[in-house]
Amino acid sequence: MQATPIVTIQAAEELLALLEEFLDKSEASYAVVIDRGGTILSQHGKLPEDTDPTILAALAAGSFAATCELALRIGESEFTALYQQGKRWHILMSAVDGDAVMSTIFGAKTTVGLVRFYAERTVKQVATVLESLRASTHVEPIFTERDLHGMNQMFGR
Amino acid sequence: MSIINYANKEVQFKIVYYGPALCGKTSNLAYIHSQVAETNKGELVSLATAADRTLFFDFLPLNAVVIKGFKTKVQLYTVPGQVIYNATRQLVLRSVDGVVFVADSQWEKMEENVESFKNLQDNLARQGTSLDNVPYVLQYNKRDMPNPAPVHYLEFLLNNRSVRVPSFVGVATSGQGVFSTLNAITRLLLQKFARENEEASAKHQRAVHPHAASTALSGIAAGTSATRR
Repeated sequence: MQATPIVTIQAAEELLALLEEFLDKSEASYAVVIDRGGTILSQHGKLPEDTDPTILAALAAGSFAATCELALRIGESEFTALYQQGKRWHILMSAVDGDAVMSTIFGAKTTVGLVRFYAERTVKQVATVLESLRASTHVEPIFTERDLHGMNQMFGR
Repeated sequence: MSIINYANKEVQFKIVYYGPALCGKTSNLAYIHSQVAETNKGELVSLATAADRTLFFDFLPLNAVVIKGFKTKVQLYTVPGQVIYNATRQLVLRSVDGVVFVADSQWEKMEENVESFKNLQDNLARQGTSLDNVPYVLQYNKRDMPNPAPVHYLEFLLNNRSVRVPSFVGVATSGQGVFSTLNAITRLLLQKFARENEEASAKHQRAVHPHAASTALSGIAAGTSATRR
């Protein structure tokens, strides 16, 4: 089991292919898989307006976490999906597993029923990819403590 | 929790600014946001009440240094300091990699500082971790107020665990100590990550090439080494 989650190039391609197929079939605009801490694992499609996907991911993780906490308070183990309806754009958040969530943005081109139908199938496939990633022991060295020598200004200041 | 993405050549970390209500956590993020180049920062998002008190969290994504071709990215969060928002603090702490504990230097805030620090330890424990595993630094903020407690007293109160951590005096509204604090926690995170990555990689190598280690050892025993050949 990985101490640090790792998205390998192969897994990134698999996740992207799943999201591509999902958007194609559901006719949603954008889908992102995030870990429950708010970090993007994979994304595909076009976001409405100039939305920063990093911020979208952080807010989605916060929103889903708050919803799960609400579920616990009323005796549910978890709400597996969360739907937010807007005037032009809607968001469906679906639990992938205990560590990840898929958030889908869609407009008038499709319906929540269709998006939800394909999302349920896609999250199972995404969960399988993430499970194999976590089970993998493959780790390549990235940098060592020596490489950090003399680095005191991490942000140019 | 840090995440390595080989496809994007990125490593991402989550840093949470923790501390009592009105100690200056949001001011730290606001100053950082005002100083970092546009190309290296995202938008500063604040989920606040009408009275500008943090309700859920503040969030600021930043690009840090590039190391051996890997971009390092940090996501800065603050927690709401008010006591009633403990459930929210637990949510924000989820998957945290590093903590900046911001203390309010004013004498009358000492009890709140200690309570908040204890609350941090309790909330980490609920996640099955502790300050022994999560790198953290201390910032003694609001040194410009008329009645600050001496730094050695704050050290005595808050920096009294078996391993003392880096601490900084600060005036977050004017930027004093803000980047020293951020650079210190980022450096601690990267050092921990590098150590763990090296260990995991060596373990993987031993699992994939179990004979390599024994060959190297026998080479050393015979007075030669694989590299010399």
